[in-house]
Amino acid sequence: MKSTFRQSMACLHTWTGLLPGWFLFVIFLFGTIAYYQQEISHWMRPEIESGPVSARALDGADAILRQRAQGAGSWTIAIPDGRGGDGFTVSWAKPGAAWGDRTQVMLDPQTGAETAPRDTRGGFFLYRMHFDLHYMPVMWARYLVSLAALAMLVAIVSGIITHKKIFADFFLLRFGKGQRSWLDAHNVTAVMALPFYLMITYTGLVSLLFTLFPWAISASFPSEQAYYKAAFPSAPAAEVSSGPAPVMPLRDLVSRVNHAVPGYKAGYVTVNNPGSAGATLDAYPQYDEFGGARGSVHLDAVTGKVLAVPPAAGGATTTQRVMIDLHAGRFSGWGLRLLYFVSGLFGTVMVGTGLVLWTVKRRTRLPDPDRPYFGFWLAERLNIAVITGTPAGIAAYFLANRLLPHDLEQRADWEINSLFMVWGGVLVWAMARPARRGWVEGLSACAALFAAVPVINALTTPRGLVASLMRGDLLFAAFDLSMLATAALFAFAAWRVLTRRAKVPPRRTPREARGAFA
Amino acid sequence: MMHIPALLLNLAGLALLLVAMSKHQHDWLRRKLPAAASRNLRAGGFTLLGLAFLVSVAGLGWLEGTLAWFGWLTVAGIATVAANTNRERIQRWGARP
Repeated sequence: MKSTFRQSMACLHTWTGLLPGWFLFVIFLFGTIAYYQQEISHWMRPEIESGPVSARALDGADAILRQRAQGAGSWTIAIPDGRGGDGFTVSWAKPGAAWGDRTQVMLDPQTGAETAPRDTRGGFFLYRMHFDLHYMPVMWARYLVSLAALAMLVAIVSGIITHKKIFADFFLLRFGKGQRSWLDAHNVTAVMALPFYLMITYTGLVSLLFTLFPWAISASFPSEQAYYKAAFPSAPAAEVSSGPAPVMPLRDLVSRVNHAVPGYKAGYVTVNNPGSAGATLDAYPQYDEFGGARGSVHLDAVTGKVLAVPPAAGGATTTQRVMIDLHAGRFSGWGLRLLYFVSGLFGTVMVGTGLVLWTVKRRTRLPDPDRPYFGFWLAERLNIAVITGTPAGIAAYFLANRLLPHDLEQRADWEINSLFMVWGGVLVWAMARPARRGWVEGLSACAALFAAVPVINALTTPRGLVASLMRGDLLFAAFDLSMLATAALFAFAAWRVLTRRAKVPPRRTPREARGAFA
Repeated sequence: MMHIPALLLNLAGLALLLVAMSKHQHDWLRRKLPAAASRNLRAGGFTLLGLAFLVSVAGLGWLEGTLAWFGWLTVAGIATVAANTNRERIQRWGARP
């Protein structure tokens, strides 16, 4: 059977594509959405205005910390970048208190006034789901994601070898031809964004480098902590200075941090022992500069003297940083971000069409299509549950953000639970229904849920689509419009499955069944 | 604002590459072009893709320019495929009086 190299590659492609395929679909979809995580966070916190943190807001944070956080062991200030969304927050804890017992206050990034937006993890959760999953320890999730990414790389390379006519069929997409159409769609989405897939899969593996290759650290360092200590040195031990001394104004401290290293933009600032003469400051940068510094800048928080700047990165570290930045695209402006997003969507469609192709191809060979063998039945149900259930869950996450009461205990967790409840519901539904009905109903459910998002937004906040367009709020308007566009796409897909399948009987010609592709 | 010229040049380049292929010539032009004409079309197509790359890099620098070029090439590729798939519809629409 596997007589030629290409046939063995086709077999490899089928199984490295199928088994982790459902998982890859989820990773691709969440990763794609994560390119807009801050915009999503902004939409999910309609109470706050977004934008870069102003000097006035820094003064506001300074005043709050001085008035309300006297005697605290440390202050932290999280400064979002210009895309905003994640809020400008300060927090503090009494000396000796646990990290979890910190008091946290969110401020308006423009005015510095205290705000209390609804409790949500916003787009950040969708980003973390991309590689940390949920309801499981982070390390397990990362091993799973690493394995899936490795399989993806194998599937890409074996897929290139398997695809006989990359150039001859470069522009070919024929609809209405059953299995051939699915193969065309899989090929076209795979070939058109192939450089992106290679880049994103390889750099994704690089971002999980130490999960996959812990030996790189253990060969040269006694422990992982020792490596991180060497790579990201912590603050030099503060001189033991007794007596009280005021911390320099926050605005000046931030400005000194930003001038200590060219191009540095403070993103996460900790002031240790504020109010004492030995107060120090550690600042970590925002990550929106390509290949920029990742280490921290340390200052004397009383005098503002620079104590340490990040060590110059070596070749290997710089390579790793550049690859991770290439993967995450945080540096990109609106144009590049859109391209990252579009390429990611094609990737999601590529994985989805590949999964469907597996069942379409085998359906023609089933002795009795109404009673398939278990593996086929499972693959078909998982296709429905993953391809329609994941987007449905994401729509439910957005809806829960608008519908859950603001004073609900652990509200942010319930938003996430809503996502998985709807997803699980679609899974159960898909198991119970005939496959064709399952597809139509799953796709229709997605269309209905996404269409509901702008409606519920308009009913529960003063920032509905019409209001956003009137006040020229492009971000909110674009979010609502993209929800409607997504709903329309799912409705179209549901309509196509409903009408086309009814007309064309399952093809059983031997030539079709023996497709050129595994 | 290098994005729009980069997209248009990529689109034009891929369109030329499409009609440089004999099987698509039959569909789009209803005749097969001589080999020399196909060669010229292919060369023209690649030249336009190269121009798109230069425009992207001139506007956004080597790094972002390269990324943007690949990205718009993908978008232009999907647009070309969509046009090719809907060829009959486009030709009917174009032939309307």
